[in-house]
Amino acid sequence: MIIERIELVDYRNYASASFVLTGGITAVLGRNGQGKTNLAEALAYLATLTSFRGAPPDALVRVGADNGVIRATIREDDGREVLIEAELSRVGRNRVQINRQKLGRTRDLLGVMRVSVFAPDDLIIVKGGPAERRRFLDDALVALKTSYDAMRLELDRIVRQRNSLLKQAGGRMSEEIGITLDVWDARLADVGEQLGYARATLVARCQPMVSEAYEQLAGEAVPVELVYEPEWRRIGLAKALGESRQLDIRRGVSTVGPQRDELTISLNGLPARSHASQGEQRTLALAMRLATHRLVAERTGSTPVLVLDDVLSELDPERATALLANLPLGQVVITSASPLPAAAHPERIIRIRSGTILDDRTSDGQP
Amino acid sequence: MASVYTPPVQTLIDELGRLPGIGPKSAQRIAFHLLKVPADDANRLALAISEAKDKVRFCERCFNVSDAELCGFCSDDRRDSSVICVVEEARDIVSIERTGEFRGRYHVLLGSMSPLEGIGPEQLKIRELLSRLGPEGVEEVIVCTNPNTEGEVTAMYLARALKPLGLTVTRIASGLPVGGDLEYADELTLGRALEGRRPID
Ligand SMILES: [Zn+2]
Repeated sequence: MIIERIELVDYRNYASASFVLTGGITAVLGRNGQGKTNLAEALAYLATLTSFRGAPPDALVRVGADNGVIRATIREDDGREVLIEAELSRVGRNRVQINRQKLGRTRDLLGVMRVSVFAPDDLIIVKGGPAERRRFLDDALVALKTSYDAMRLELDRIVRQRNSLLKQAGGRMSEEIGITLDVWDARLADVGEQLGYARATLVARCQPMVSEAYEQLAGEAVPVELVYEPEWRRIGLAKALGESRQLDIRRGVSTVGPQRDELTISLNGLPARSHASQGEQRTLALAMRLATHRLVAERTGSTPVLVLDDVLSELDPERATALLANLPLGQVVITSASPLPAAAHPERIIRIRSGTILDDRTSDGQP
Repeated sequence: MASVYTPPVQTLIDELGRLPGIGPKSAQRIAFHLLKVPADDANRLALAISEAKDKVRFCERCFNVSDAELCGFCSDDRRDSSVICVVEEARDIVSIERTGEFRGRYHVLLGSMSPLEGIGPEQLKIRELLSRLGPEGVEEVIVCTNPNTEGEVTAMYLARALKPLGLTVTRIASGLPVGGDLEYADELTLGRALEGRRPID
């Protein structure tokens, strides 16, 4: 699948702009604050229905407008053309249409378009708290199979309900609370076990791919280890919840389950979060993105569109060149504030300024 | 957050916002719509609400909406009283009746277990369900709560409460959209789900 055109109407700082992309590398150049990341965000929005910057949908609508539209024309591998439109509303419901047919549930859009975004903020996958790494794993699972989206929402819902019940208990256990907790625990165990198993399988599959990507980017083989081994997986979540019940009641919160798990990343045998240098952390985060991008391409049989949002300028020239040399085949959109490295060879260069396309030309491959 | 609207407008928005499925954005939109329409139209809505509240009540046995002590299903002798279909809301009865697959009686819980909304088993009509079993000679309870988080947990709770009493407790088969609502299930799917019901573990 490739995206042939993306059109933004009243989206962020765009009043109206239409980007024509090539099947290879398209460069989008412009100074900071002109709309590069907004474009990357719009592309990813159609794939995930969320802003990778964590913005609520109504914040995506241009200031002064009530509705914004992201419209993409995509070409499937079999040649079919598909028109995807997401309407974001400040006042009403957000709507999604495929080929002008309104989707009953907007989340049915997931999986129609696959987009991987690499952004400078990816550093938090390595440097941030455990929640960032759980999000990384769950995002990858959804990209692999859209049904994980429902699973992750359900887990979130169960945990919020269970925590609410624990708070109501006020630190005291009663028979009634016990019986009600039993059923919430059973449900949490059921869904949590499935998500835990899926994450563990994903980590096992990713591990060699992350090592390989790290070596490609860093130019040297360094042992990289990803470990997702929550305690509860050894005895089963149902049993673990039983054992933690007294503690959960006392604290008024669910202390065990996939919502608390950690993915430990080590470099050279040391935890990367605390011991790796900023440069190593950046390379690791990139290697993890590259690994899941390749895994999704391999497992789904269709390479996601790769968006490198201002990533190259964060890397030293060697690593930037190494990244470009190891890009998987497929469609790539690179945004940058500075000229691209010589190794980039974009087929098309689009220059933007404050939400407007200044010029757009196919390139002879020279920067 | 301080209100930007004059008190009557803000009160209207707040009240609308408490309705199920109405978020703050929709509440605002509906409120301004109501302020714009002719007074007659708005008053008709107000009247319809207060009349419905006045005249409609819950069936004393099954908590379906009714205009008499007992609803049409509970007072119909031709319905099979040995099977009870448990639903969350009275509107779910309409969906199940449309399938034409069910000839038993109903019991409306008036919601599902949801600690976030302060709803536990005591807030639902579960005790009332238990008290119907003996007198009505119930042999099977079909749990038709919604196939979402709260509906599944409620179904599990009911199964645990009913099975020790020696009843057959079944759950409508899957095939219904996960995270969904009975209201949106088409009758064919729902009919099949009823036919293919299975015991709850
Ligand atoms: Zn009745």
